[in-house]
Amino acid sequence: MDNEEKDLSPEEIVQREEDVVSELEDMESLQKALSEEKAKAQDYLANWQRAQADFINYKRRIEQERNETAKFSNAMLILNLLPVLDDLERALENVSAKLAGLTWVDGIMLIYRKLQAILEGHGLTEIKAIGEPFDPNLHEAVLFGEGEGGKVIEELQKGYKLHDRVIRPTMVKVGKSKEEKEESPEEGQ
Amino acid sequence: MGRVIGIDLGTTNSCVGVMEAGEPVVIVSAEGGRVTPSVVAVSKAGERLTGQVAKRQAITNPDNTIFSIKRLMGRKFNDPEVVRDRKILPFKISEAPNGDVKVVMGDREYSTAEISAMILQKMKMDAEAYLGEKVTEAVITVPAYFNDSQRQATKDAGKIAGLEVLRIVNEPTAASLAYGLDKKKDQTIAVYDLGGGTFDISIMELGGGTFHVKSTNGDTHLGGDDFDQQVIDWLCDEFRRDQGIDLRQDRMALQRLKEAAEKAKCELSTVMQTEITLPFITADASGPKHLNITLTRARLEQLVMDLVEKTIGPCQQALADAGVTPAQIDEVVLVGGQTRMPIVQEKVKQLFGREPCKGVNPDEVVGIGAAIQAGVLKGEVRDVLLLDITPLTLGIETLGAVMTPLIPRNTTIPTAKSQIFSTAADNQTTVDIHVLQGERAMAADNKTLGRFMLDGVIPAPRGVPQIEVTFDIDANGIVSVKAHDKGTGKEQKIVITASSGLSKEEVERMQREAETYAEEDRRRREEVETRNAADTLAYTAEKTLREQGDKVPSDLKQQTEDKIAQVRSALQGPDINEVRRTMQELSEVLQRVGAAVYQAAPPPPGAEAPPGEEPPEGKPPEEGTVEGEFREV
Repeated sequence: MDNEEKDLSPEEIVQREEDVVSELEDMESLQKALSEEKAKAQDYLANWQRAQADFINYKRRIEQERNETAKFSNAMLILNLLPVLDDLERALENVSAKLAGLTWVDGIMLIYRKLQAILEGHGLTEIKAIGEPFDPNLHEAVLFGEGEGGKVIEELQKGYKLHDRVIRPTMVKVGKSKEEKEESPEEGQ
Repeated sequence: MGRVIGIDLGTTNSCVGVMEAGEPVVIVSAEGGRVTPSVVAVSKAGERLTGQVAKRQAITNPDNTIFSIKRLMGRKFNDPEVVRDRKILPFKISEAPNGDVKVVMGDREYSTAEISAMILQKMKMDAEAYLGEKVTEAVITVPAYFNDSQRQATKDAGKIAGLEVLRIVNEPTAASLAYGLDKKKDQTIAVYDLGGGTFDISIMELGGGTFHVKSTNGDTHLGGDDFDQQVIDWLCDEFRRDQGIDLRQDRMALQRLKEAAEKAKCELSTVMQTEITLPFITADASGPKHLNITLTRARLEQLVMDLVEKTIGPCQQALADAGVTPAQIDEVVLVGGQTRMPIVQEKVKQLFGREPCKGVNPDEVVGIGAAIQAGVLKGEVRDVLLLDITPLTLGIETLGAVMTPLIPRNTTIPTAKSQIFSTAADNQTTVDIHVLQGERAMAADNKTLGRFMLDGVIPAPRGVPQIEVTFDIDANGIVSVKAHDKGTGKEQKIVITASSGLSKEEVERMQREAETYAEEDRRRREEVETRNAADTLAYTAEKTLREQGDKVPSDLKQQTEDKIAQVRSALQGPDINEVRRTMQELSEVLQRVGAAVYQAAPPPPGAEAPPGEEPPEGKPPEEGTVEGEFREV
């Protein structure tokens, strides 16, 4: 309703219309670009947050593992030494009557006790087996035969715990109850 | 949300893995094992046991301990394999109305899927304990020869265990994924799987990103256990020959023999011979007996040769069925612990005419492949950001023409690292930053990436100014190095674009050279450090005499000056031992000087302290710019 409009020629009006349309198009594409960028930014932020979270979780787990490792760093070494402990025990169990009185044999016994003490100092404890109810968490059954049903009647190899973890289950012979004996006459493997 | 785990559901053992930060990781079980025995049992008390614990009580509970269920999965009661296995397996196998196989455990019947589900449940629980979150989706592997009903049974097992099985993957495919073979071009792959109890050979084709199984063959009753048995038998025979006692009659001895035999077999994969020592293995009227036998690798190979040869036939048959010749095989993948044995690897090499892939732990390779597939399927909730690493160490030149590293090689980028350096000479007013790339100890042996100078440093005793040097590498590998004088606030920077770096061949060459010269470089660096230390010591001594000379008796002062001169002259020469010796002597004299000074009037504060201050981060020695080096005395 202004004077301006009256002064515009038809061509100028068309031009103005075209300008407006073109500006509207520009605005549209800008808005589209903006929303695309916004979406991207959101995406990046989300990914960054996840990566950060993963990192924090990973750190937490590494910390846990590190504490575990510190406690059980010797586990492998101790596990590898157990057969030596076993053999020493066997040697001492097999002292013949002839050797029994020898001071030298006493010496070996002292050495054995010393080794035991050192390992105990590092957290090693023996698993109770003989006479106990068989528990697969602590014992490994390798023979099954005559004896009080469900109880450990013989120890083939000592089992040990390091701190609270079983590092070697006791190798045992488990007693077969009368009913079981009737069912299957097999013994062990 | 939620991670997808990959499970290798094996006949004897199972393994579970998951992707973590782009790498597959084997999940350790609650019992501390990287694999879990595929054993399920119901105790007399009605308690359900799975894994290692179930295996330990198997002998006392043969009727209710189920193992090797995989042999029965998805089969019908009258399948020839089932008929054969029924004779060997100690637990009760029955027939369902529709002809399917059912097993009896405790007081009820279970489908094979239900039993496998129990094993999967254990793997799931261990994974959840490790990840600290619930797991609801998994990828499970099956042998390539499994038919539809066997695959369906496996899927059902997953469902029963509370896992949505995103995909059933063939074991040889998983093994190939573990070696990244899917990233290479189209090729033909042979997977040789020799595990504890079974042998499987598969020929596969990788085409257009997917694996197709062309043929399979094997021996369902050939595995590591058979190899162990050969050793046990040999030990018993040797012992009987030597000592006249048959250990096979002694159950306790047999137990020890079993363990020792397996251990010896494993050891002989890395050493040429091993001693099997079992003291007090048995006893007779004449007393205790010991077993002490040496087993050589050569002898072991003789003992197991027949077993290894048994794998040849199935391999040749598989090749024939696939219509390929050994020459057409592009890659061979080894699966199963027994493939660690050198003789097995040699046989495989002979058969297929090429070195097999063997970097991944063969007991875990299928589990790892399953984890990789799981990761791929989950598509990563977000895009995987592929990050590069910087292939060579970056650093600057410091006193003595050595390279001081700032960013070690193989550091993931983008990254930044700062370190404080100082001047080498008194009143030094410019520092020269010489940016280097490489692994060698001496600056001259590395590649120069760039150089720049920072001037306007306020004149001060050497070691006092604090110049912070910062290396920054962006995600594109563009290196920028900045030197910032903390005293003046002045800063200089240089940006190095990738083109001034090194090509792949050059990188490899430099890494190789670094290894070759490692010892020599270490020695040279040590020499430089010793020289620098000697120089600093002489400097300190001179300063002390200058400042505290009046408190020092003149003969001691003369001695000190002599020693200083000796050190300086030794530094001119090439003999590093001479430098060390004179440095030691000067050090001793200096201690006496110190004592003399303290005995005199109370010294002004800081007189005897090493010159200059420590950099704020408390970084110990080995700092310096081109000529600048700062050392604690």
